[in-house]
Amino acid sequence: MGFVRLILGGFVILVVIYIVVMVYSRSVRREKLEDWWDNEQVGETSRDDFIADGMKIYESGLRKRLILLIFIIPPIAICTIIYFIN
Amino acid sequence: MRNIRRFFRVILFLIVASWLHYVMPQQDTVRMTGIADRNETLSNIQRIFFAQVDSGTTEGTFRDLRLINTQKQRTFLFGLIHRGREETMVYRNEDTGWIYPPYFKFDSSNLEAEAEDMLSTSESPRWIIVTHYGWRNEWLSIYPNAVSIRPAPSDDFHPFPWVNLILFIVLIGGLLFLRAVWMQFYARTVDRLADKFGDQMDHVSANFLERKGRVFSWLGKWLKK
Repeated sequence: MGFVRLILGGFVILVVIYIVVMVYSRSVRREKLEDWWDNEQVGETSRDDFIADGMKIYESGLRKRLILLIFIIPPIAICTIIYFIN
Repeated sequence: MRNIRRFFRVILFLIVASWLHYVMPQQDTVRMTGIADRNETLSNIQRIFFAQVDSGTTEGTFRDLRLINTQKQRTFLFGLIHRGREETMVYRNEDTGWIYPPYFKFDSSNLEAEAEDMLSTSESPRWIIVTHYGWRNEWLSIYPNAVSIRPAPSDDFHPFPWVNLILFIVLIGGLLFLRAVWMQFYARTVDRLADKFGDQMDHVSANFLERKGRVFSWLGKWLKK
């Protein structure tokens, strides 16, 4: 019973953390793009287009996929703890 | 007002600090003198400070409490400095199971067997490092839970709390991250909404003032006559 509770509760918590980190990371990237454009108007594109393009690159980038580590590291940590304690 | 806020902050800090002191692992250098099994019924207050019956079994009114009797080297500053004196310490030996505190300990019986193998007397002491969490309190009859034991390399061995160091770094990093998230959210969402809303309020109140001004000047015209 405890095991099931750990899996379900842990999963819900991880989903919440994942969403928070995802939204935060996206927001930071958007702010960076905005600042970039405001400081040195890059190319001929308009501000909105520039940001939209930048976000598209971000969405398919490595950084976004790295956030998925949130679902991988805690189970590994738990397994390591179980191995060393028992 | 500021004093009240300060008071609540101190209380909050004390609660978090004592909770961490309870839950974080600590290491003692002890020599084990015996193990004991006792049948107990826990009171509601005691219940907070005990983990659970052996993983896989169900909880009844009675439970067997496994205890490890030791003589412990006295320390202060979280075990970093040894005092060169001994004190009596009794540890419980309980499974923590899957949830809380997250030690995932299931091998109480094995630990008891290991402890039995490492018993020693004051004439020929064998020093053991006990990793444990929890508090000993004689009034409540609560004991720290021994999580694992290993032989000490020498009798004046001071284990350094590496695990605690890592946990604290992770905790502080997490807090700083939460703060960054909050500040980002505040600057880019709450503040902007407030700006928008504030602008609208300005328009509304300006509009209102202008109308009020017109009404009053109109009234004033009539009153003058």
